[in-house]
Amino acid sequence: MKKSTIIIIAVVAIVAIWGVTSYNGLVKMDESVNTAWSNVENQYQRRADLIPNLVNTVKGYAAHEKETLEAVMSARSKATQMTIDADNLTPEKLKEYQKAQGEIGSALGRLLAITEAYPDLKANENFKELQAQLEGTENRISVERRNFNEVAREYNTSIRTFPKTIIAGMCGFDKRPYFEAEEGANKAPEVKF
Amino acid sequence: MRKLFLICSLLCLLGNTSLQAKEYTIKEIPMVHLQDRTRYVSNPDGILSESAVSTMDQILYQLEQNTGIQTLVVAVTGIEGGDCFDFAYRLGKEMGVGQKERDNGLVILLSTDERCIQFATGYGLEGVLPDAICKRIQSRYMVEPFGKGDWDTGMVEGIRAVNGYLDGSMENIGAEEEEDMFPLYIFGAFFLGALGLTGLAVWYQNRCPKCKKHQIQRISSRTIERANGFITEETTYLCQNCGHTFTRKTKSSDPNFRGPRGGSGPIFMGGGFGGRGGGGFSGGSFGGGSFGGGGAGSRF
Repeated sequence: MKKSTIIIIAVVAIVAIWGVTSYNGLVKMDESVNTAWSNVENQYQRRADLIPNLVNTVKGYAAHEKETLEAVMSARSKATQMTIDADNLTPEKLKEYQKAQGEIGSALGRLLAITEAYPDLKANENFKELQAQLEGTENRISVERRNFNEVAREYNTSIRTFPKTIIAGMCGFDKRPYFEAEEGANKAPEVKF
Repeated sequence: MRKLFLICSLLCLLGNTSLQAKEYTIKEIPMVHLQDRTRYVSNPDGILSESAVSTMDQILYQLEQNTGIQTLVVAVTGIEGGDCFDFAYRLGKEMGVGQKERDNGLVILLSTDERCIQFATGYGLEGVLPDAICKRIQSRYMVEPFGKGDWDTGMVEGIRAVNGYLDGSMENIGAEEEEDMFPLYIFGAFFLGALGLTGLAVWYQNRCPKCKKHQIQRISSRTIERANGFITEETTYLCQNCGHTFTRKTKSSDPNFRGPRGGSGPIFMGGGFGGRGGGGFSGGSFGGGSFGGGGAGSRF
């Protein structure tokens, strides 16, 4: 009788310790997904911050390309209004976010395409450096997106594999969405030199 | 022997690949820095001349000594996948170029088939070497000679310019301090343990075997044997508590012995391996810096 109670207490203690450690592990992973998401948002913000400067530089040489310039600015303002809190990152919201950012991308692509016709602009040092920064930012975005997907995948695998799935279900750890592969609209602008 | 083998294999590589462009994967790029911590330029296809490589190695070694910034320069005929940015970024990330605490790694990749020059800066270098500056260095010093196939001039001038921006941008603070602390603790624990054991041994030795009191006194000692560098001594003790006298034999090493051991001790690890910025026994190492996609690339 006494022996069996000891065994029961031991088992309960082991289960409790396991529960606490796996809960803490999940919290840690959840936080790293949040960090990865904010890194993604930072890089998109960085691109948005470059746009006014770029548009102004282009305006100095190609003022009559009004339509293209305005398209970039409006895509930018639409996308910057949209920020997603990492905790309510749903597949729908992510898709919407991706679409808004993709519109900036394609508008920028068109803008850079028309600059080909202005040799003076292309020779402008300021423009060249803005272009380099823009290209670097696109690279950073793709790095951070990939990183986010990796971290999210690790987290999703963790909350869906067997023993931890119990803890995840009880404590409300939800699956996180991924960035989808680009389909045209979100293609980074081809920056050619 | 190992060096000889390395040189031979490098020569074989050279012989095999000089006629056809090889598409390297990340893992196939030879990491010369890991064999020799004063070298940074990986030139498996012999695109760059010996003298250009050694000039760059000198500049980059000095740079790491001054600032702690680690650079990896790779010049190859072709890369797998053909994406210069991705290749340079992954090289930096997977090799861990740069100090871990400061992420101050820099990768410079030249691929002659892709006709691209690509810089990848670690997180910590994005401030001192922003993308626009990378681009400016490339378009001022590198693109033109590269277009003419003058790899040496473009590379050396580019590295000089990079060095101009980076030298003095940060101090070479010890990146290994944190890592060194851990063995220090272990060492300390061992030291204390050894001290305790010695104390215990001395305490036991001071005890009279009959009445167990610690009041023994050494009366006399004489040497009975002296051989092979050891002295055997017989010491007589008197216990002041119970008056018991007893002798103990001790063996100790002879300080005056000059035996077959000779003058010089064994030499551990000859040559200038290990040391700052690397820390490995065989050549240098990269510190594990991370990359976030900084840098710029140009085509020629």
